[in-house]
Amino acid sequence: MQFIRKECAMRRDHLLQLLMVLPVLLFIPLPGQSQSRSKLEGMWSDPPASIVGSFCSFSCTDAGIERLNALLDNPANDARPYEELAAEAKKYEREYLRSRLTGTALRTFPLDPADDPGFLRCEPWGVARQMIAPHQFEIRQVGRDRLEFRYGEWDARRTIYLDGRKRPVNQPPSAMGHSLGHWDGDTLIVETSGIAANIAGLPDLATTARHSDQLRIVERYTRSKEGNTLQLTVTMEDPPTFREPVVLKKIWRWAPESKITPYENCQAPTEFKKGVRP
Amino acid sequence: MPVLMLSAAAASSHHAFSPVYDEKRLITVVGVVTEFRFVNPHAMMFVNVTDDAGKVTKWTVEFAGRLNLSEVGWTADSVKAGERITVTGNPTHTGSQRMFFRKLVRADGAELLPAGPQRLKSIEEERRQRALQRTPQK
Repeated sequence: MQFIRKECAMRRDHLLQLLMVLPVLLFIPLPGQSQSRSKLEGMWSDPPASIVGSFCSFSCTDAGIERLNALLDNPANDARPYEELAAEAKKYEREYLRSRLTGTALRTFPLDPADDPGFLRCEPWGVARQMIAPHQFEIRQVGRDRLEFRYGEWDARRTIYLDGRKRPVNQPPSAMGHSLGHWDGDTLIVETSGIAANIAGLPDLATTARHSDQLRIVERYTRSKEGNTLQLTVTMEDPPTFREPVVLKKIWRWAPESKITPYENCQAPTEFKKGVRP
Repeated sequence: MPVLMLSAAAASSHHAFSPVYDEKRLITVVGVVTEFRFVNPHAMMFVNVTDDAGKVTKWTVEFAGRLNLSEVGWTADSVKAGERITVTGNPTHTGSQRMFFRKLVRADGAELLPAGPQRLKSIEEERRQRALQRTPQK
């Protein structure tokens, strides 16, 4: 009897030791699993109130940034308001992107903002606009092998699979597509396909183009060395839409204090005018 | 009076601003707030405006979303029903009793603004610093 009690006590002690060690084990990365994810996890939000942050508040291109820098660095422009220079650089950027569109895409580019289903019917965006949506962007790990992306705009969510699974065959295309992720050092790379034909932001809300269900997107997320910003480089390939891959950039600021609040009051418009472009 | 592009772009996120509001014009009305809704994607305020003949017209004021407003200190209690205010915004293309918010002035003269003007101030300061560091041209 004494022996049984002693045995039970030993087992209890082993169990307690295991319970104490388990939380530590759970946070030790497995082979091939980077600790980098912890560097990206958390809440991000609208970019800093800076020149680049403002210009890339939806997204931007290197061509657009170079144009903006050239305008800002020219002393002849010192008396012109920043917004005027940014508008000029955005116009240049739109023309740059226009030159990358196929004849088919050009027939409807840029889409009339009044024809946007998000505006007309409060229809949530597809991934080609959601990934560069303004406002909060939250990255959370779900289990060992998935990330959940949540966006303040539309309170939309995406799942990124990190377990090395194959892309599903014969799965019908969807608004958010199917996203597979992996780490390259500190950079999270997300490859998405299986995306239903929809609208892409190029590079902002007012300049959008229709894309086909052949769209493939590669997103690269990197935290800045200072840690206070998250940078995204997006490459989109869609032969019916783009003559060559289109690359967009975006930036968020670290915003642990921010909370995604309910997206509950989208109202379809009762009055609007077609053909008015910003 | 031209309206700043930055604030217009940041103001309306889930859809473009241009189909509904005329960003090149501003209008101002004085009235009494009946409701302020601090919601996404756009906060809303309803204001009763009384004309000289005593006729009351209900105005709708559309704002940016909660995040944009909370960045500069707005809360659900920033504007209360019964408060007399002067509000300025972009009118609709159709001339209806609706506007997109640009500025609110309380009865005591205190102003409430969206985030755009403050962000723009920071950007212009960054630009000024950048110009100071520019290498002098020979």
